[in-house]
Amino acid sequence: MKRRHFALVAALLVAIPSLSLAAPAAAKPDLASEIRETTLGNGMKVIVWPDRDIPNVAMYIWYRVGSRNERPGITGLSHFFEHMMFNGAKKYGPGEFDRVMEANGGANNAYTSTDVTVYQNWFPKNAMELIFDLEADRIQSLAFDDKIVDSERGVVYSERRLRVDNSNQGLLNEQVQAAAYVAHPYQIPVIGWPSDIEAWSKSDLQNYFRTYYAPNNATMIVVGDVTADDVFALAKKYIEPIPAQAPPEPVRTVEPEQQGERRVTFTKDAQVPLVQIAYHVGTADDPERESLDLLEAILTRGDSSRLHQRLVEQEQIALGVGAFDDPRGFDPGLLWIAMTLSSGADPAKAERILDEELAKITNEGPTEAELRKAKNIQVADFWRNLKTISGKAQALGSNETFQGDWHRLFTAPERYEAVTAEQIKQAAAKVFRTTNRTVGVLMPAAAAPASKEPAR
Amino acid sequence: MNRNRILAVVAAMAIAIPAAAQTASMKLPPYEKVKLGNGMQLILMEKRDVPMIAFHARIAGGAITDPTGKEGTADLAADLLQKGAGSRDALQFSAATDSVGASFGTASAREALVVSGEFLSRDHKLMLELLADALRRPRFEPAELDKLRKRMIDGIAAARENQPDAVIDNYFDAFLFGSHPYGRSATETSLAAVTRDDVTKWYRDNAGADRTILVFVGDFDGKALAKDVKKAFGDWQKAAAPMPKLEAPAMQKGRRVLLVDKPDATQTYFRIGNVGIARKDPDNVAVDLVNTAFGGRFTSMLNSELRIRTGLTYGARCYVLRDTVPGSVAMSSFTKTESTVQAVDLALATLERLHKGAIDEATLSSVKAYVAGQYPPRLETGNQLAAKLAEIEAFNLGRSDVDDYGAKLNAVTGDGAKSVIERVYPKESDLSFVFIGNATAIRDAAKKYGEVTERKITDAGWK
Repeated sequence: MKRRHFALVAALLVAIPSLSLAAPAAAKPDLASEIRETTLGNGMKVIVWPDRDIPNVAMYIWYRVGSRNERPGITGLSHFFEHMMFNGAKKYGPGEFDRVMEANGGANNAYTSTDVTVYQNWFPKNAMELIFDLEADRIQSLAFDDKIVDSERGVVYSERRLRVDNSNQGLLNEQVQAAAYVAHPYQIPVIGWPSDIEAWSKSDLQNYFRTYYAPNNATMIVVGDVTADDVFALAKKYIEPIPAQAPPEPVRTVEPEQQGERRVTFTKDAQVPLVQIAYHVGTADDPERESLDLLEAILTRGDSSRLHQRLVEQEQIALGVGAFDDPRGFDPGLLWIAMTLSSGADPAKAERILDEELAKITNEGPTEAELRKAKNIQVADFWRNLKTISGKAQALGSNETFQGDWHRLFTAPERYEAVTAEQIKQAAAKVFRTTNRTVGVLMPAAAAPASKEPAR
Repeated sequence: MNRNRILAVVAAMAIAIPAAAQTASMKLPPYEKVKLGNGMQLILMEKRDVPMIAFHARIAGGAITDPTGKEGTADLAADLLQKGAGSRDALQFSAATDSVGASFGTASAREALVVSGEFLSRDHKLMLELLADALRRPRFEPAELDKLRKRMIDGIAAARENQPDAVIDNYFDAFLFGSHPYGRSATETSLAAVTRDDVTKWYRDNAGADRTILVFVGDFDGKALAKDVKKAFGDWQKAAAPMPKLEAPAMQKGRRVLLVDKPDATQTYFRIGNVGIARKDPDNVAVDLVNTAFGGRFTSMLNSELRIRTGLTYGARCYVLRDTVPGSVAMSSFTKTESTVQAVDLALATLERLHKGAIDEATLSSVKAYVAGQYPPRLETGNQLAAKLAEIEAFNLGRSDVDDYGAKLNAVTGDGAKSVIERVYPKESDLSFVFIGNATAIRDAAKKYGEVTERKITDAGWK
């Protein structure tokens, strides 16, 4: 279902905020020249990128709140709150936000991650003032109805069953992330623990609304068939009167250095073993990010990548292998390597082969051809992300939020182009340490791995 | 939560909407069609917002041409196209696309084999070389076939365990269409039966210039690209076999149930439906409109009932699959095991309401505005436009498929919608049900919907 994803899916979108403009032949000089920004009196920044390819508009509102702002008892509340943002305010009552928007040609969605909650509206340009009215209403005066809270609880629990409880990959992912952090709230699953999903109260939601849903805790991105002046005028009319709030308390806890490898192993009645390994890395704007992005591309992007070649094609021990970053946010996050193994394959052997490959790139670094390939992939990704007004809104918003400045979207080229093979080697050495990782293994209950291993 | 609230909202909405008045119409940008001497159809559309070229090759055939008992032959052939072609082996081929940041994908759909992707425009020569190699000179190396086959078989097992919602359509198609080609898809056993000779013969029979539509959309010079394409494809031979004729599948009479037991499931996934319409149905746009109102958008009737009003599920929808002959029309959702009956009954009651005229004038104008407003983003990128142009050509729809879409949408009346509902959406008495869930908990309940056939999710195959 497309509506209101939580972060497992959304992380993939959030995970590619740094993009490259490196291709000299491909660069279009004035790409950013029409982008304008303003900051409203209440502290909300509004950024506009006019793009007249289609007569539509993408509006993304980024609130700086996610599961990192939660604690035991209210885990999953950020995501639940995201659902409640569609369930009625003062002017537009329950159900009206969606009904009125759709009746005027608009559609919406939202997602919650560990760090942010992002509300997305896509609409024909002539609906823009109405969309501002709808947004202003819910930002200013959201309503909380007990019956709706209970009904929406069922929706979120169903979402949890879909993504976690009935998916071995989802289950393992949740367990590994929880084990990877002993102190920092990144250990909390975005969807929330079942007991908390059952127990949230209306007052929890009201507190959350007051604390985090303030205009000064959000950034608005508007991309599409608009002028900056029109958008700014509507933002002043509808959003600026909403008062600022005291800024939320910062997240103080810093995850201590990991002291030894952690392992999560469980068995299930399954045929397909899974291995997921999470390594601690830095924040989204860590200076080593570009090196890590390139390292991940070399390891897992495309069938010619190192891990695909070794694990899937040569050893045939895995059906697939991927790398991703989650969380990739304000606080130090995780770099994951996830393998779906061939049926009956031995997870311990898959781990050994993976370790060999990681040791190899740590000791020898990438080849020049691999480095060039990884940089070219970044260039192509840059353009891919700018094909749509939604892609542009996502790219601007994530750079503004996580890099501190949307201009970073366009200055990324030097950052990627400047990375050397030696830097990638160093980044690998820093991250791929046994004591820096949490290993998760889902083992088929009835498997006798050694005998069922596929022929080489 | 009660009906009054929803009714009140509908009334409020009727005032708030200028509705259909604002449906902007969208026109396809200009494009060029060139027919090669060997029958290949080339289509070119220049588009320069990003320095990329999207391509989409559609070769008529696909899964419906799989030999009986060897379902999955087309899937294997499609995936093998880039596992060694021309002068490159599998690794060299993937290195060639990866190293320039290109995407290059192959897939077998129900009625076509599709090769699509995009390159930075500076790499257009490489793009054409790889495309011609993949389509004309695939190696079908035995070792690659063996690897791929094993991975596909394991992939089915992984999907059975991790994504009931990804395998339920295989069960539903097999249950609904039976021995009709639409009911067949790759299984563990049929994949195991496919030999290299099967793959090469299938490809010779079903791939060739006369079956192929090749579309490029993006940042290129049309004249120069057309010339290069002629050079690369002008002497490609035709497919050895004629395209098989497809009969329309029979509507299912009565009710019956397939229950797929997944003992560890905590929720039940379901599909409920029957045979619907073909792509060229004259009411195609009216069906888009009705289906959006019934089960397409967030506030659709199904999602309003099963999610918004009752919280039974994260999502409920209805889809109408349209190809050469009528495909399926089916309601789709999932709910926790204990509320299976409640959710299924509510879906059935909602279908009944649809038949009894639930789409009133306010809903009609709202859904017109919605479909029109959300139409332009469907044709925003080179890849989207290329796929649309291939579809237009394959079904011989003409550019009016896009250019007149808005006008056709606006022309749908309440009576028109009613007759479409009557004709396209199944009666309550004629429904096929597929449930994936914990059979011990829902076996008895399932009986009330019709005669139950039961199987285990771990059993090979889909029927």
